Amino acid sequence: MRRRAFFAGSIAALAAPSIARAAQSVLRMVPQANLTSIDPIWTTANVTRNHGFMVYDTLYGLDMSLQPQPQMAAGHQIEDDGRTVTIALRDGLIFHDGEKVRAADVVASLRRWMKRNPYGQMLAPVVDELSALDDARLRFRLKKPFPLLFNALACISSAAFVMPERIAATDPFKQINDATGSGPFRFKKHEFNSGSLVVYERNPTYQPRPDGAVSLTAGPKRAFFDRVEWQIITDAGTAAAALQQGEIDWWEQPTPELRALFAKDKNITVDLLDPYGLCGAMRLNASQAPFNDKGLRQALLPAIDQADFMAAIVGDDPHDWKQVGGVFTPGTPMANDTDATKLTGPRDFALAQKLIKQAGYTNQPMRLIGPTDVLAPAAMTQVAADLFRRLGFNQDFALSDWGTVVQRRASREAVEKGGWSALCTSFSSFDFADPAVHPLLRGNGAGGWFGWPTIPELESLRANWFDAPDDAARKAICADIQRVALDEVVYVPLGTYSGFTALRSNLKDRVNGFALFWNLRRT
Amino acid sequence: MLSYIARRIVATIPVVLMVALFVFSLLYIAPGDPAAIIAGDQATPADVERIRASLGLDRPFLVRFFDWFWHVLHGDLGTSIFTNLPVTHMIAQRIEPTVSLMTLTLILSLSLAIPMGVIAAWKHGTWIDRAVMMTAVLGFSTPVFVIGYVLAYIFALRLDWLPVQGFTSISEGLLPFLRNLILPAVALGLVYMALIARITRATMLDVLSQDYVRTAKAKGVGQRGVLFLHALKNAAVPIVTIVGIGFAALIGGAVVTESVFAIPGLGRLTVDAILRRDYPVIQGVVLLFSFVYVLVNLGVDLLYTLFDPRIRY
Repeated sequence: MRRRAFFAGSIAALAAPSIARAAQSVLRMVPQANLTSIDPIWTTANVTRNHGFMVYDTLYGLDMSLQPQPQMAAGHQIEDDGRTVTIALRDGLIFHDGEKVRAADVVASLRRWMKRNPYGQMLAPVVDELSALDDARLRFRLKKPFPLLFNALACISSAAFVMPERIAATDPFKQINDATGSGPFRFKKHEFNSGSLVVYERNPTYQPRPDGAVSLTAGPKRAFFDRVEWQIITDAGTAAAALQQGEIDWWEQPTPELRALFAKDKNITVDLLDPYGLCGAMRLNASQAPFNDKGLRQALLPAIDQADFMAAIVGDDPHDWKQVGGVFTPGTPMANDTDATKLTGPRDFALAQKLIKQAGYTNQPMRLIGPTDVLAPAAMTQVAADLFRRLGFNQDFALSDWGTVVQRRASREAVEKGGWSALCTSFSSFDFADPAVHPLLRGNGAGGWFGWPTIPELESLRANWFDAPDDAARKAICADIQRVALDEVVYVPLGTYSGFTALRSNLKDRVNGFALFWNLRRT
Repeated sequence: MLSYIARRIVATIPVVLMVALFVFSLLYIAPGDPAAIIAGDQATPADVERIRASLGLDRPFLVRFFDWFWHVLHGDLGTSIFTNLPVTHMIAQRIEPTVSLMTLTLILSLSLAIPMGVIAAWKHGTWIDRAVMMTAVLGFSTPVFVIGYVLAYIFALRLDWLPVQGFTSISEGLLPFLRNLILPAVALGLVYMALIARITRATMLDVLSQDYVRTAKAKGVGQRGVLFLHALKNAAVPIVTIVGIGFAALIGGAVVTESVFAIPGLGRLTVDAILRRDYPVIQGVVLLFSFVYVLVNLGVDLLYTLFDPRIRY
């Protein structure tokens, strides 16, 4: 009898974790990439940003019209003509370790964030003093008004996540190991198996914002799943089969060719992940021959047909991509149509050939670099290679894995010494939403994004944009930025394409934008 | 014998050292920069430099190598550049699925391939022989990932008998463990099975034509006894050799199989680490694999003495 009891007890003990798990509501999702780092300040990887929004909260959230809305902030007070901004924290904010969120934690987090985020880097020199007035209030004393302060605090990429002061004190160039936040989910460190499984559980102490509408990272963040598992499945075929079989509930970014397959399955819903779309771009290396010649960069434009580049990524359905006539994400507040015809007017291959000759191109070598293992850049690179070949460039077409591309693109050497001339890549819509975050709209030479154009006028306009008093003034400056950017061809916009997501049909109320887990529930 | 084993184990040290040096050098000269991957697209060159410095990647080759090697001597394989976790911890997290997969594959392969090879030799020239050899050729020439996809399509998607992907630890029950692992083990094992079946057949054909087999038959030993007691034991040395050599193919195949079936094993850890240039993880896993491979070959050498008493060390 005792032996039987022992065995029964053993079986019950062995089964206990799975029984407990079965009683929970669990969401299983395949993220866009493996989560390798849990520090959203240290790395700008989108998957780490998504992790950040699981476990951390921000003072301000951004709604789908890209307007900042209070999130952890109860409200703010602006004084002294915008030079003093006092922000009060909401009641009931508690970190996952049970400690209360204090203004000192927010201050330390913002100090770390300001050293890495493009908005923060513009804000930092303007800040005279950033301090906690008491546990519930912090104050910015600014050398001059910073009208975009709340946009900065609400930004999506490399967001201003609030961490406990003891963690936020870490050098921003060193990775943190502790994912204690105050967000709607808690990171289960002991179940973390990078490359396989990331587990979060609902934060029972989280107080969703009582007001506002759920929109992007703004509004009440109500978690309806006790447990969220990110299952890393690298093979697209396997992930597709797992979704069809119901082994997973959500696949964040399936490959476009699977869309038709999923559309036939009544148990799967295909939806747009980000209604604004992903932005394709061709960057030319302005610091080395041959594309250090502005005339040669301009000569390419009439030959660029965005349809070719977009079709290579998403296929022939014209609903899956949009032509872009500017350098800002279409549909976002700063998008405008200044000189749009340079991109959207009739394409003229013969004109491009003529302009290339006029620019004095005499068969100098150029190198196109690109990956084979990241879908969109790989597809666009193939189209670009064909284009350069047809235009008569003396092209070295260098393909490699993404890890090699990110190193190779950092080379500022001439082509003969291993440098590069052109590359194609894609960015999230939020990265191209305004001049603060747009990595390709810089003219600061060696300090800027790979390709390093030196265009003082662009830098000056960008600085003015930060100081502009209102949206109308900012939009006017963005029109100028676009004029300069297209004239200098700081990059070639290649269109925006739909990134879609696939979920089991019994899931509803997903928040649009990227992989956000609050509000989502099972019917 | 014991002194031989001790000598062989000591002899593995320079082999593993050479592998370590080779892998470290290869990674040093290979293109790719983890700092650039970490920093992401918004980072300035100065940011990338600072991250590189904080990771110690700006130090000279020899300094980095000896620093790493010194830690390895102390049982510390370093810390992952990306996850900031100890490499030993990451290997420990991944070792069970890989060991489980390889063990099940070995059991399946040996228990099917050896009888297949023996029967093919026994029924030499008949349709059974041809069927076994055709299966072996098919298994040998079909890529592991194709077999994996086909199996998953039939048994998971169409018949709904088995899950598409994942791994369940044996501690959660034998049935769920086998349900998850049977398809990957078959996919991975087919190549191995083909290799062993072919070598078993060839060796058995040779052995079955020997005088002592005829003598055994003349003495009235039954067919099963002739095949499995007399002939197979004498054919075992080449079979054991090929099992050892094939172990390397098994490790390589595990990398693909783990990706196709989303098994969180060492193979996937290696691929992920290579793609993101996580040097300490690559070095740690390769060091482990080379050590295991050397040990397997030592085991093979020792098994020779079991099957052939004439072999003495």
